[in-house]
Amino acid sequence: MQSDFILSKWSVWPPLPLQPANPAQWLANVPPMLKRRLTPLAKTVFCAVAQCLDEDVMVPAVFSSAHGELTKSLSMMEMLEAGEEISPTGFSLSVHNAIAGLFSMAWKNKLQCTVLAPGEEGMAPAFIEGLGLLQEGAERVLLVFYDEPLPAFYPSSPYRLSSDTSCALALMIAKSGAGQALTVSSSASTGNDGEQPVQLPAFIRFLTEPQTRLTFCMPRRNWSWEKRPD
Amino acid sequence: MSSLENELKKLIIESLDLEDIGVDDIDSHEALFNEGLGLDSIDALELGLAIRKKYNIRIDSEKDDVVNIFASVAALAEFIDSEQRAA
Repeated sequence: MQSDFILSKWSVWPPLPLQPANPAQWLANVPPMLKRRLTPLAKTVFCAVAQCLDEDVMVPAVFSSAHGELTKSLSMMEMLEAGEEISPTGFSLSVHNAIAGLFSMAWKNKLQCTVLAPGEEGMAPAFIEGLGLLQEGAERVLLVFYDEPLPAFYPSSPYRLSSDTSCALALMIAKSGAGQALTVSSSASTGNDGEQPVQLPAFIRFLTEPQTRLTFCMPRRNWSWEKRPD
Repeated sequence: MSSLENELKKLIIESLDLEDIGVDDIDSHEALFNEGLGLDSIDALELGLAIRKKYNIRIDSEKDDVVNIFASVAALAEFIDSEQRAA
């Protein structure tokens, strides 16, 4: 499989070194009644998305997270174990599409949202989904990747599925127009370059540094992203 | 304003994370949901749980007139007061 697209715009939270870090600035337009529902991970996502997407623009979106709000789910399971009742709000915010739902409300975005838990395939499935939407006729698609560190309760070693910090990356992809031309492709050789939380920092380096090619080897195939000359 | 109404306002602010709102900002007779304070259906569930924990009063959505009980702080206080007297 091979597919070409344009990366029109991208943003990351926490910001790159030397970029200003003021979450309040990026959360200023969120209505207070919605803002109170934002978990730390949701705030991270909103800060990345707000830099990539103007307020009045509607765009189909694909969200991808290996673990979602697992920290919140775990704390609720611990409450259940202790015989306590769990918070309905807490439960509604713990489901995998909760942040995408809050996004669609905050941005009044009525176009389709897809939320993936990509497992061992890492960041690639969100690209497949986004490229499919472009193929179907969407002018552009917002891809949002986010994860926070796994709670210590879960064994992270020897698996490569968690990182030490929370991170959200927003990419606006399009079929044509201004931006960085990229090609994504897959081939058969396999490996274990880790799941999305491990891949995210490498992908951000790929975007910021002169390297032209990035490959993640996964247990069943590998995925490569290549910068094409303009 | 009765002390129960005041107590309920504090409970609403704390259990529903209304960070920017104080007790004085809530009018006892103002609508809690939709246009008034702007609470939604998840808030109704959360508030029901908070009332159950604090007053040991269960609001039964089949049996009780939930819409009127949750209409305002004053209505909620009246319901809790009558439940406490009946107990």
